[in-house]
Amino acid sequence: MLASLFALLIFPAGLFVLVNGLAYHWIDRKLVARLQNRVGPRWFQPAADMVKLLANEEVLPTGVDARLFTALPVVALAGALAAMIYLPIAGLPPLYNFPGDLIVAVYLLSLLTLCTGLAGAISKDRFSIIGATRALTQLFSYEAPFLLALLGPAFAAGSWQINEIMAYTSSQWLILTQPVGFVVALIGLMGKLEMAPFDTPEAETEIVAGAMTEYSGRGLALFLLGREVELVGGLTLIAAFYLGGINNPFDYALKTLVLLLGVAGVQTLMTRLRIDQVVGLWWRYGALLALGQWLLLLGQRMGT
Amino acid sequence: MKIETMLRDIIQSLFHKPVTELYPAQRQPTPQRLRGKLRWNPEKCTGCCLCVKDCPCSAIELITIDKDNKRFVMRYDAGRCTFCAQCVQNCRFNCLEMSSEDWELAAMDKALFTVTYGREEDVQSLLGCVAPTGDPAGE
Amino acid sequence: MSKEQFTIPIGPQHPALKEPGHFTLTVDGEVVTGASVRLGYAHRGIEKAVESRNWVQDLYLLERICGICSHIHATAYCLGVEKLAGVTAPPRAQAIRVLVAELERIHSHLLWLGVAAHQAGFDTLFMYSWRDRETVMEVLEQLTGNRVNYSANLLGGVKFDVDTRVLETILSGLDFLETRTHHYLDIVSGDRIFLQRTRGIGMMTSEQAERLGVTGPTARASGVRRDIRVDAPYAAYDRYPIQVVVETTGDLEARFIVRLKELLETYHLIRTLLDGLPEGDLKTRMPRRIAAGETISRVEAPRGELFYFIKSDGGDQPARIKVRTPTLSNMASVTQLAVGHQLADMPMLLTGIDPCFSCNDRLTTVQTSGESETWTWEKLRQYGIASYRERG
Ligand code: SF4
Ligand code: SF4
Repeated sequence: MLASLFALLIFPAGLFVLVNGLAYHWIDRKLVARLQNRVGPRWFQPAADMVKLLANEEVLPTGVDARLFTALPVVALAGALAAMIYLPIAGLPPLYNFPGDLIVAVYLLSLLTLCTGLAGAISKDRFSIIGATRALTQLFSYEAPFLLALLGPAFAAGSWQINEIMAYTSSQWLILTQPVGFVVALIGLMGKLEMAPFDTPEAETEIVAGAMTEYSGRGLALFLLGREVELVGGLTLIAAFYLGGINNPFDYALKTLVLLLGVAGVQTLMTRLRIDQVVGLWWRYGALLALGQWLLLLGQRMGT
Repeated sequence: MKIETMLRDIIQSLFHKPVTELYPAQRQPTPQRLRGKLRWNPEKCTGCCLCVKDCPCSAIELITIDKDNKRFVMRYDAGRCTFCAQCVQNCRFNCLEMSSEDWELAAMDKALFTVTYGREEDVQSLLGCVAPTGDPAGE
Repeated sequence: MSKEQFTIPIGPQHPALKEPGHFTLTVDGEVVTGASVRLGYAHRGIEKAVESRNWVQDLYLLERICGICSHIHATAYCLGVEKLAGVTAPPRAQAIRVLVAELERIHSHLLWLGVAAHQAGFDTLFMYSWRDRETVMEVLEQLTGNRVNYSANLLGGVKFDVDTRVLETILSGLDFLETRTHHYLDIVSGDRIFLQRTRGIGMMTSEQAERLGVTGPTARASGVRRDIRVDAPYAAYDRYPIQVVVETTGDLEARFIVRLKELLETYHLIRTLLDGLPEGDLKTRMPRRIAAGETISRVEAPRGELFYFIKSDGGDQPARIKVRTPTLSNMASVTQLAVGHQLADMPMLLTGIDPCFSCNDRLTTVQTSGESETWTWEKLRQYGIASYRERG
């Protein structure tokens, strides 16, 4: 009882990922800044932003369902945190596992985007509604390739259980045998996190803050925290599957940070895509490539 | 047709110091011609008020205490001044110059913007009495 | 996705527009089906204010119409007033005016490049172009003492001379900027993802450009060969001719290319100018009272043709000054071009003309019913309060 409470509140699903998320968020911002030849924020900036948001007044727009409006950010964060239970956070073996937990974890990670979309849709604000439409459109376009890309390792390992896949991948670097899957998964993660160049749903210069426009104070803070948690979760998953597994905290930090550097590089190199271009990109290239990789694996399997 | 047109820039930046100026912590030297706070040298002033006449924002005021003995006081309001240097151009006796070092003029109180130049006793006598009403500066 | 049409208000306060202007876009899904614009939020009454200041004071007031192309406003005004007074500034002064105007063009175009890149969501280009813009800002600071609102002009001349130290700063700055500009030209015409956002977007044919009265780089990107520096040379442009850069495609990409190529021309011009800078005085005497009469003065601002009408009744204050800035003539093109584009292209389209709202807002059209009536100040105020209340 006490142990599971600890697991939910402190490690891995609670405080630890939150702090980890804030730290990674800072590293991401700092990296992007340095790549753009700027100084970037100081280490406590994301935490300070959170504290400020939590202390701010929460404005409830008129005409929305108050319960839904306040519940959505909580659900989003809870979903992201719940996914952590099944992930090898900090290089330690996942807390719980059962056959097929990969699918559960991936869908728990998608909960955030769904909540964002719903939150935008109920906000009755024009920018929110457009943001929500875009968020959901984008969700439908990257979700399938992303899942396919994560199923690649699962397929190779012959199991849909995260710790078994990890046992398989820690002996070999799947990035070498399934490079396409790796790229699709990483880019898919960026889409999930609405990072540039996939930040169309919250394109500041077009629709203010997209689905989040009406959120302030605590609600916004929870959404942002949810996203940070997801950043940690996603990086962990990709590192564990493609970069030769993560077996200890040091391994974990090193591999996720390398991934983060890659993510920051992509963020700085690209122009924001229009929503039609995002959809086109994913269905025309992303899905096909991931599928091709999959068929290749299948063929190999049959062959042996 | 590429997508990594800026790759070289960002890789270079990774190994270079950021260009951001950490302003209050580090101050860059100012150029010689920087137009900062106005300075007035009473020695040569004849009280012609040409400087006052063309100031676009009435930032300066020349108060004549004793014209014959060339006793003037100049009141300068840095909060109004737009640092255009028209007054410097207008003065034929080069009494006015704009400092290149004194440029951090922000203040929390309006009163701090007003500077009164002139001989000690003149300024004292002026500040001592009631705010001058007659306007010798000729507006 | 519902097919319901709705209108999206952009501005007067919106993160895409750092200046106040209001656009009402009707969209169908993501596609814009209608657009209208409302201006006037930054009306400051400058044209009226100049009538109660003397000719010299007005110089500084007019310079502040725009924060970016400030020098060109002052130049247009000075040239106009000098024409009225029958005075010509000495050649060295005219050359320095051109020098500052061209440096200002560099600063304005690089600023625009950054803003446009930011609107497209390419923040890296934004950061780098603004970093490089700092070079020209520093040059300007060395030359004139200020980063913006240089107040280099005087009626009848200029305030600052070019000495060897400044000369070296300018030349070394230009060398750096030239390599960077070539690099940016590569980016805007070669980056595939960036081109997805600019190529073929906001097409304006040269007929359209003529009909809408578009000026400046926006017009030149549509194949309209029009540049006041060449068509009606002012200041020292007759001695330092410039090659007009024209592109014919008329899309956003062309607007990027025209502006960047113009920069290369500008570097060239500044170099020739500094090579053969005429010797002589920096200013001549100007009368305090300007002979009665009226004149116009046209100059090429970074954004297009800037027009001044100046009227004097012989006093030491102008009787009337009318300013028409390039943004106003370009604005019509935005609403015309918007229809049929994606919502995501709107910020780019608007930025494509390099709008400057504080330049823009000087004129309000009042429709009168024919009867005239004199309003007191108090009545006007009450009317204003009531009308704002009504609007809510
Ligand atoms: S610098 Fe310009 S604004 Fe300031 S006091 Fe002189 S004339 Fe007036
Ligand atoms: S113009 Fe010069 S001499 Fe004349 S009042 Fe001003 S400071 Fe004195």
